[in-house]
This record gives sequence, structure tokens and C-alpha cells, in this order.
Amino acid sequence: MRIACPFCGERENGEFTYLGDASPKRPNFAVDGGESPERVEDAFYDYVYLRDNVAGVMREYWYHGGGCRSWLVAERNTVTHEFISVTAAPGAGAASAVRAGE
Amino acid sequence: MADFSWNVQSPLQQALVPGRHGGAGTQVGVTLEEVRGVSLVQVMARRGRVAETIKAAKKLFSVEPPDTPRAVSGRNATLIWSGPDQFMVLSARQTGDQFAKLTAGFAGVASLSDQSDGRCLIRIAGSGARQALAKFSSLDLHDSVFPAGAAATTAVDHTAVNFWREPGSVDENAVFNMLVFTSFADSLWHTILDSCLEYGVQASVAHAA
Ligand SMILES: [Zn+2]
Repeated sequence: MRIACPFCGERENGEFTYLGDASPKRPNFAVDGGESPERVEDAFYDYVYLRDNVAGVMREYWYHGGGCRSWLVAERNTVTHEFISVTAAPGAGAASAVRAGE
Repeated sequence: MADFSWNVQSPLQQALVPGRHGGAGTQVGVTLEEVRGVSLVQVMARRGRVAETIKAAKKLFSVEPPDTPRAVSGRNATLIWSGPDQFMVLSARQTGDQFAKLTAGFAGVASLSDQSDGRCLIRIAGSGARQALAKFSSLDLHDSVFPAGAAATTAVDHTAVNFWREPGSVDENAVFNMLVFTSFADSLWHTILDSCLEYGVQASVAHAA
């Protein structure tokens, strides 16, 4: 299997590490915003632990540790292992950083 | 207590035995060199400061740093792409403080790290070089994919390597450069030498000019 890094080009998959689903967004509650502790805890529980088991195309984080050491977002079909697209994760290189999650 | 003194020495002090190895007769299919006396500095643009970093590099080296995996020759230095918005500056070690000079040139716009004693530069050339490299690198080194000046950050034997083809080195005279971590240099040298043996190897020490 080869993965096309947007910075390096096509490379063997051994140079990459898989993280997982790129869709969970880190909850962003205002400090003392009046949210109930249960609601905050539920939201974080969901963000940290709960994942969909997608059969089909999903967006995932991959890390090109054996190459340019950039975080990437790939669209991959989990059934066929086909990569539909691979792009730089937000904040790659010297680009502006953003909150975790897409 | 035993006397102790610091000696600067190559990580290939023991592994590199100059002379001919392997092959049949006097044939030399691969030349293997360790290039000593280099100055190497990693430059990484700070957040949102890419344009200023490019400008500073142009002022120092009269050339723009590569923004794709390439190595470019500039004034007294080769700039080698090492990732998005970062590159390495390779030059011959001078008597003056090269790192201080670069630190001043990139002040406030890029973060620098002196790697002069952290990496070992190995140079591979000759008619058998590509075939030997194919045994331990998964890069496609065909002329159409990896022309002169092409670069890659890749892994060899699970070890990070900065790899590039010497700008201007064409056809069967292609020269390939590898920057490897000094602590892995000894092990990688054996891997490289073993891969080259069947073509006949001339091993030597070179000094950066
Ligand atoms: Zn990459």
C-alpha cells in the first residue's frame, strides 16, 4: 500500500502511522459558562472515547513520521483501503494553528 | 582517576575502511564516501513567518529555499528541503561561527538547530548505486521521478534519513547524498556497504569543499 503525502509524494505505508477518525471536535465550553457538569462530562466522554465504526469512506488522521513529520488528513475507504484524498492537517508546517478536530 | 579528553571523531571511525571491497577483480560499481568537515543547520520557519524566512534565506544564500522536496545550490551552501516550511543548510565547516551567522540572519523569523555533529553525510555514486540503494530504500530513484536536485525525507532501516540527489549530477554520474543520525551511522554504513559489495566498492573519506 502506498500513500500520497501532499508534501513528499507517494511513499510506502511503513513510513506512516495511523491515528484514527478526524471528525471528533474537542468540546469548547466557556469557563463558568453555566453548562452543567454532566453535560460537559458527556461531551468529553464522547470526544475521547466514542467512535463510529465506519464501513466505507471516512476521514482519518495519519502521521508521516518516517518522512516529513507532518500530520495529514486522509479520506480512505475502510472496505477497499482505497485512498481518495490526502491533505495536510490544519497547522502543518508554519501555517496557523487551529483547535484540534476538524 | 584516568585522564579524559574530548576528541572529535567521525561516527564511522571504525566502520569505514578506505579501499576496495567486494566485487570481482578491480571493478568498482559503487563509490562510497563519508564527507567530513560539514556544517549543518536545520531551519524551521516560525508560525506565519514563511515569507520572512524565504527573504532571509535569499539574502544569506542568494537563492530561495526549496518549497518542494528539492536541494538547491546557493552561495557557499546547499539548501535541502526537510519538510513543509523547513530546510537544512549544508556547507563546508569554516573557521568562523557559521551557526551564529545564520542565527543572526534568521533572527525572529525561523528557529534554528545546529546539527553539524548530529548527522553524518554519506555519498553514494557509480553505475551500481541505484541498484544498491534499491535494497534498502523504498524511494523510486528513476531519472523521471528523482532527477538531479530531487530530495526526500525518508526512512532507511526504520531510521530517518535526509536524502537528495546532487544538483547537476546526471545519468550514470548521479550522486546520492544521505544525512543520517550519527548514532545510527555505524549500523547504516554496514547495511549500505553490504548492499553495494556485489558491484565492487571503493570506500573513502572526503572533506567538504
Ligand atoms: Zn510527507
